[in-house]
Amino acid sequence: MSRRLLDRQVELVEYLTSSAAIFDDAGDAPIAVPHGLHRGRLHLEARFSHQKRMEKIAGVLPRTFALMGARRAVIGRDFAAACPPTDISRLSNARQFQAFLGPWWRRRKARPACVPDVAACETACAAVRAYRDSGEPAGRDSPAGAVRRARGAVLLRCRYDVRPLFETGGARDGAGDVRPAARDTPLAVAAGPDAEPRIFELSPAVFALLATLDDWTDAAPFTATPQSASLLRMLRQSGLVEAGR
Amino acid sequence: MKTASTPAVGFGYRAVINDWTRRNLARFDVLEVTVDHCISGGAAARSAIFDLVGRIPLTAHGVGLSIGTDVPLDLAYLDDVAAVVERLAAPAYSEHLAFTRVPGRDLANLLPLPRTEAVAEQIVAKVRAVQSRVPVPFLLENITYMFEWPDSKMSDADFLNLICRETGAGLLLDVENVFLNAANHGFDPYAFLDDLDSGLVQEVHMAGGITVEEPGHVFLADSHSHPVPDEALDLLAFALARHRPQTIILERDERLDAFDEILDDVDRIRACVASQPGTRDVAPAVGSAG
Repeated sequence: MSRRLLDRQVELVEYLTSSAAIFDDAGDAPIAVPHGLHRGRLHLEARFSHQKRMEKIAGVLPRTFALMGARRAVIGRDFAAACPPTDISRLSNARQFQAFLGPWWRRRKARPACVPDVAACETACAAVRAYRDSGEPAGRDSPAGAVRRARGAVLLRCRYDVRPLFETGGARDGAGDVRPAARDTPLAVAAGPDAEPRIFELSPAVFALLATLDDWTDAAPFTATPQSASLLRMLRQSGLVEAGR
Repeated sequence: MKTASTPAVGFGYRAVINDWTRRNLARFDVLEVTVDHCISGGAAARSAIFDLVGRIPLTAHGVGLSIGTDVPLDLAYLDDVAAVVERLAAPAYSEHLAFTRVPGRDLANLLPLPRTEAVAEQIVAKVRAVQSRVPVPFLLENITYMFEWPDSKMSDADFLNLICRETGAGLLLDVENVFLNAANHGFDPYAFLDDLDSGLVQEVHMAGGITVEEPGHVFLADSHSHPVPDEALDLLAFALARHRPQTIILERDERLDAFDEILDDVDRIRACVASQPGTRDVAPAVGSAG
């Protein structure tokens, strides 16, 4: 009995997304060439698909890729082996890469040590842009007198203060002299008035507060004192909090 | 607008050169919109595309259906396609005869199907489902491929003819893909064009790729990055002598800032069209494609 087409397609795509096919070697996890198919041609198909995927990711994480330097090749190889593509979108692939890169980089104590934080920040900026581009209206179905963390805003806890790298294209070309300071840095990324992502450093208390505001919450406690009302106003102006209508 | 026998010549709309495209709208008879950019692209991209409605005829092309994957079609996706097609007032909707993904993995690259009667039967059923869901003529596009399945006994043309004959679907003939496949797999591209059923070709894609040299062999890749090769224009002329497509679209995805090359390619395609006996140009108009 002949095999189901889907089984053959699954076998082919699993092969094409394997290290063996992409890099034309057996690697640590040898996988058989699907029966009757030409190994050399499958290698070309796999290599081109992988290159296109990595170009998508590099487009989202340009600073990260610049800082990775010569390690790009080995990271790309390890990434391909560990994380087959599950989605066509640039952001999904970048998220997958960022999640892979952090543990990889830290395990090897690679330098500069700030790279995982840079990747997280770039991914957050891309997520903010994607939310902005989605056109989802802010505060839809929102209860009056309530507040929540802005849907498009992203919170990040970084080990390095990487913000200088995001000022005027820092490290985009890999030649920047900026050395981020090593310190626990609570950050938030949100769309600014020009709709471009802006990165804010937050105090630990404000970071913790924003982390709790997943859902609509009565705003009354935040306006109980002039200081808290001022804070709420500032968070709204920064695009980090949205208010119900 | 072109006469009934003269195809409209246009360009595949790309958001990154939106401003340039709008400034040069008069150079094209039609723009091809990728429906997936309307479905999953951002609000700004969608708005820029829909703003073109009424300014120039638009036709609809898809990259996200993966009609060849042996799983049920994504009907919600098709409903989104139908809505976009209606909004664009597109006269047809085209997709690749290929698969790009399987459950859990998405290669984001067009892969060929085994060219067998059994697979054709599966595709026929899916084409009918698409036709029942998207209320404009459906066209299948021939793809370029690096490898072939060992049980592909039918020729490319026979496979396409069978599916289109059974369903009434048209063919979006990618001439560059025919050129590349013929060079890479060693068949006669003119024989392929001759073997296509009469009247099958409704739209045409033109593009230019690159030559890749690997140890042991050289092959051509469909990179949509360079001028249309003369050989592909020769094939276009041959195809136009046998078929009457409504639309010819130049595709470009790389080196999009090579504006002179794009306009020059459009002019070369127009010249090829004009060289066909019985064609004549009249002033372009807005309102309907083709």
